[in-house]
Amino acid sequence: MELALCNHSSYPRIGDDPEHQLLRRTIAQHDKGEKTDEAVRAAQDRMTELALAEQTEVGVDLVTDGQIRWADPISHLAGKLSGVRVNGLLRFFDTNFYFRQPVVEARPERTEPLLLEEFRFAQEKSARPVKAVLTGPYTLARFSVGENGASTGFEQMLEGYTVALAAEVAALAAAGATVIQIEEPALLQHVDDFLRFEQCLTALARSKDSAQLALSIYFGDPAAVYDQLQTLPVDILGLDFTYSPGLADRVISNGTARTLMLGLVDGRNTRLEDPAAVARQLEELARGAGLNRAYLSPSCGLEYLPRDRARQKLKQLAVIRNTFLGSPS
Amino acid sequence: MSRAKLQGLGIDLPLFPITSVGSFPKPDFLLKARADFASNRIRRGALEKAERQATEFWIRKQEELGVDVLVDGEMYRGDMVAYFAENLAGFEDGGLVRSYGNRYYHKPVISDEVHWDEPITLEWWKYARGITSKPLKGMLTGPYTIMDWSFIEYYPDRRTACVALAKELRNEVQALIDEGAKIIQIDEPAISVRPEELPVAIEAMHIMTDGLPAYFISHICYGAFENIYPGMLDLPVDNFDLEMSNSGLDTLELFKRRTYTKDISFGVVDSHSHLIEDGPTVEHRLRQALEVLPKEAIWVDPDCGLKTRTADEAVAKMQAVVNAAKALREKAGVRSQESE
Repeated sequence: MELALCNHSSYPRIGDDPEHQLLRRTIAQHDKGEKTDEAVRAAQDRMTELALAEQTEVGVDLVTDGQIRWADPISHLAGKLSGVRVNGLLRFFDTNFYFRQPVVEARPERTEPLLLEEFRFAQEKSARPVKAVLTGPYTLARFSVGENGASTGFEQMLEGYTVALAAEVAALAAAGATVIQIEEPALLQHVDDFLRFEQCLTALARSKDSAQLALSIYFGDPAAVYDQLQTLPVDILGLDFTYSPGLADRVISNGTARTLMLGLVDGRNTRLEDPAAVARQLEELARGAGLNRAYLSPSCGLEYLPRDRARQKLKQLAVIRNTFLGSPS
Repeated sequence: MSRAKLQGLGIDLPLFPITSVGSFPKPDFLLKARADFASNRIRRGALEKAERQATEFWIRKQEELGVDVLVDGEMYRGDMVAYFAENLAGFEDGGLVRSYGNRYYHKPVISDEVHWDEPITLEWWKYARGITSKPLKGMLTGPYTIMDWSFIEYYPDRRTACVALAKELRNEVQALIDEGAKIIQIDEPAISVRPEELPVAIEAMHIMTDGLPAYFISHICYGAFENIYPGMLDLPVDNFDLEMSNSGLDTLELFKRRTYTKDISFGVVDSHSHLIEDGPTVEHRLRQALEVLPKEAIWVDPDCGLKTRTADEAVAKMQAVVNAAKALREKAGVRSQESE
């Protein structure tokens, strides 16, 4: 099996070294009126370059910009759409990370690119291909609140977000993104709503042109919807194996029609995986499901870990791959 | 309100007791002292002197404002979990991770068996108690939240880690009671995020509180209460201190469907907004609470700790809390006299 290493999405934008505190320091000074917007952008640029370099150094094949500029996975996108303002803090799933909730006052509309400049910057600075990552319309809608009665009901918010993100997918593809990842962790809390979810993904898939569309599902057990996920019009399916002791068996028994992004390395706990144990899992998956090609990745974004541990987790991907390649199969 | 329990403990509070959740912003001189200490420019004694000075500042400020049940302001803490991790055996510092926006905290690692060797908050409680005659909460972070907000490397699973923490932290509760603490708040903001683990949190709270003579409060915030209500009522505490305003008081809808049976510290101002709520807004929130909850059950406070606000914002928000509580207290008193 051909095994490529990829980062999932986010990467810590802080570390314990003074060099890694640049962005925090600059934003704090900006908030006091001591630094300009331009200074914040320069600090974001620098931290993005560091994140790209660290991923490349440890051998990741498909990197991300680390989402260094993102306040959070929800408001960074929704807040750029007309008709939406961002409000108070809410917890992001079962993490100790908080996002600002979008309040939808009118149909969300994309009046400017959301991530295009960020992607272009990362691609220009990176020695490796950069995966573009977008929080999906379903998750955005589930974490938003409508403020204008029926015209901002869930259905209307979802439709607005879907149209906006489809346009962004098209723009990213036109800018040269080869892999565009849609993150939809909210699906696992609303599996009964799969049909509506599928319609969103279909709309995004129509806009991807020659780019590969990846769907990433995490923070829950996807085993129960695995077969349905296989029907979606995506090229790559990213799965979080840390919540589900039965997922590997499901993949082996049912196979896959998609390239899998195997989230076998826990992005939320510092304990390092035993390379031999993960390599064995890979071997079983490769043989059992007949995989020819897969990505090995953390189970979710790495921003939930301290920087040194996040880097170790990525290094561990390479160690696991070497162990796997050295194994009998 | 559990008036009888409070009175049995020797505490007599007015209608709508005014309190705060726990933390207040650190004054600039303390921030500088903490930075100097971190850079080895001053010794621990100098830092503690600044912490005492800041604690006294907030004690006096609460007294001036007319707060009924005081807190020490947590001037000695960085983060609510990291502080306890630093003072319990079995933890390692795990480095900085982000909590939101540009806010970060040191997320601890449970790398060995946890153990309580000596009191953690007690000296600060005693110091604050020594400079005020008002009731003062004993404050600690609960075992479920410490477990949930730590990386677990030593224990095989989350429940085992949580129960181990509860057994050790009970010693802290006992130490506070032994020194005279009557009201003890055990913060469990993480409790609502994994509803399937509520039984673990309840088991841990029993370990912490069973058989101990105190009025127990538990602060819970920024979660999906609908996931754990009414099951959360089985937590063995007297009062839930809840974030209500940030979520537009939507938790009241749950209380309409299923009767709320404990006292409540009702958050009437948003702790994470720079906006200072005006009097009518805060009073309106309190009146909405009164439509659903008995007035004897209601304490009044901000949604959450105020440490992320400036000192001026924190004082202004507390002033808004005090004004609203006193206004309604007065009106309730008038109504009470009219009905006599």
